[in-house]
Amino acid sequence: METSCAHDEKQEKKIENSKKKNFLSIFYPQGRIRIFTYTVKQKSVDSFRGNRCIILSMSQVTIIRKTGASAEKGLSKDDYIVMLNAGLERHLKALSLGNRLRNLLPGRVIGMKTNCLAGKLNSTPIALTEAIGDLLVTEGIDENNLVIWERQSWELEKAGYKLNASSFGRRCFGTDSSIAGYSRDFYNSGKANSLITRIMTDIVDSNINLPVLKDHSIAGLSGGLKNMFGAINNPNKYHADNCNPYAAHVSSLEPIRSKNKLTIIDAVKVQYNMGPGYDSRYLDFYGGLIISSDPVAADRIGLEILEHIRGRHNQPTLEVAGRPVKYLKEAEEIGLGTADPKRIAVDVIQINSNGRVGKGEMF
Amino acid sequence: MERRLFLRCLGCGAAVTAAANTDLLPDVVGGVQNACAFDFTKKLSEVEARYYKKLENGGVECELCPRHCMVTDLERGYCGVRENRGDVYYTLIYGLPCAVNIDPIEKKPLFHFHPGTNAFSLATAGCNCNCKFCQNWDISQLRPEQTDNLDLPPKDIVQLCRARNVPTIAYTYSEPIVFYEYMYDIAEIAHRNSIKSVMITGGYIEKKPLRQLLTQLDAVKVDLKAIREDYYKNIVDGELRPVLEALIEIKKIGVWLELVYLVVPTLNDSDAEFRELAQWIKTNLGTDTPIHFSRFHPQYLLKNLPITPQSTLERAHRICRDEGLEYVYLGNLPGHPAESTYCPGCGNLLIDRRGYRILSNNIKNGTCPDCGKLIPGIF
Repeated sequence: METSCAHDEKQEKKIENSKKKNFLSIFYPQGRIRIFTYTVKQKSVDSFRGNRCIILSMSQVTIIRKTGASAEKGLSKDDYIVMLNAGLERHLKALSLGNRLRNLLPGRVIGMKTNCLAGKLNSTPIALTEAIGDLLVTEGIDENNLVIWERQSWELEKAGYKLNASSFGRRCFGTDSSIAGYSRDFYNSGKANSLITRIMTDIVDSNINLPVLKDHSIAGLSGGLKNMFGAINNPNKYHADNCNPYAAHVSSLEPIRSKNKLTIIDAVKVQYNMGPGYDSRYLDFYGGLIISSDPVAADRIGLEILEHIRGRHNQPTLEVAGRPVKYLKEAEEIGLGTADPKRIAVDVIQINSNGRVGKGEMF
Repeated sequence: MERRLFLRCLGCGAAVTAAANTDLLPDVVGGVQNACAFDFTKKLSEVEARYYKKLENGGVECELCPRHCMVTDLERGYCGVRENRGDVYYTLIYGLPCAVNIDPIEKKPLFHFHPGTNAFSLATAGCNCNCKFCQNWDISQLRPEQTDNLDLPPKDIVQLCRARNVPTIAYTYSEPIVFYEYMYDIAEIAHRNSIKSVMITGGYIEKKPLRQLLTQLDAVKVDLKAIREDYYKNIVDGELRPVLEALIEIKKIGVWLELVYLVVPTLNDSDAEFRELAQWIKTNLGTDTPIHFSRFHPQYLLKNLPITPQSTLERAHRICRDEGLEYVYLGNLPGHPAESTYCPGCGNLLIDRRGYRILSNNIKNGTCPDCGKLIPGIF
């Protein structure tokens, strides 16, 4: 489903004008003169709240599962390429966008936001980013225009990525890199007030969100929306009340909202408890990728899978465990996507060890 | 940022953030820098935090401030400067100030604490609140890896103060509570070297660490941001009750205390609030506790409000004086008579101030030279 929001253009322009003001402020005590030029980038979440065009449509989520691999070993780049080819072909067709991934990712520079908090053992696999990169290159995207990124360069390194902040080849760096940094202006959406990584504001034209499906000790679910905490300067401020409504509002910050075109959740190994760090005691193999251009629907299906795996291991539901995933409802409320499973069409593809593609089961 | 680059070009290692005053820049460049060579560092510290407990099912609970962040492995608390690494809670900013300057003590403001002297002022990144009006958001709301930090262990700070004959160290600019361990250790060494320590804080701290800290402090200035809980909830992202409790605790222990109330137009500037504030101070801290009403300037997330009108500040001053508070000051209004200290007994001008400068100080042995009334404070 492509979500097009029919909001009142006039009203939006009015808000934009009222917020985009330059102030010249002279702060005079002790002869000190400070000049501030300030722009607030704001789009009220309320301007999206309850957007009916989203409510009435079905969202599409595609799950691709691969058998024949083990949790310990993980999947290879070739496995991921097979999975992505099958999954994206099905998913993009469902979106009526033709079968070319390029249609979904406008612009010249494509970003890939990883999740490397948990180190080598449970981060966005290098094999996955390599596989996506290869697909994008075959779709005609210049290799030099692919950016694999995370909040900090050392997180990427810790997960095994090789940094590359040069102008050649697939680039790979964190916001702390000298070529990135944070925006000069604050961006605001509902309760989120943050500086945003320049990777999102200035460097990339479209972004693929590549979270890892995990339990999160506060948010309940660490998926696509939560992964965008890595795009802002102050995620530590947004963990109260199970990250609600912050996870929704951060993903609604305008450059994030408009540039995040595709979510691919890595659900090969699932940290079903004690996340978001790595804990081998609570790791299970699901062997899947969850693909959607609706970030909320992708998370919602990810949540169902997580809850199912928790149940299989006699873990209480996240709600009973004291970390209900409340922010998905808020995300739907502000028109970021669909959280109601009744309005999400899930297509499950199974790829067996011989590479044969067939219909699969979610659980 | 330009100033930082400027300082670097001068070969000055002392980071002075955009939040710090430029008045004493020559002091920093010429004095502090000459005393010791500093290096910027990209590394974060890994010093175990002092107030936290390990949770049964994994993770830690921070017990430093009333927020009591539950922090799982590899996550940070609300302040952004404390991190759980394998269920050991670490402070990441020990010995890593991002703002260093020498300021007049009046800038803190502390008006009853060694007037006319200087304070070696420092701050690290991070804060346990998120005030929408924050003047120093470019350090307080950032994580330590987002600021330029100096490598300055506690003993070096004390050494610098001795070299420059600075009698006081002020933990200020951002929120010193978040660099508790660093502050405590500096203050401890400073005391052994007859250097005083003052904390400029929002007062959002748990009682146990506060009591321990007060053993090393000589004065505290608390920003009481409002007297209403909803203001703390909506504007500060904190709570009022623990701050009030901390104020009572500081007074009870007997460490010198002054208050600042930033008057933000339309948000905390009603007569009722000023009266409520004055009555609370009178009842719980005493009429001799100085309070400074400070002028708000549009900053950070409150750009839409105007500068506080002078008349509003004067109204606050009048109400508090009417309620019986003896030392009511107006801040960020250079040249205003309410910047000076008057004897509550005879009304004589005791300390004549212009901005941060002392034009005359007539206090003799802590008393009014005319009527002999004891003036509270440390003179």
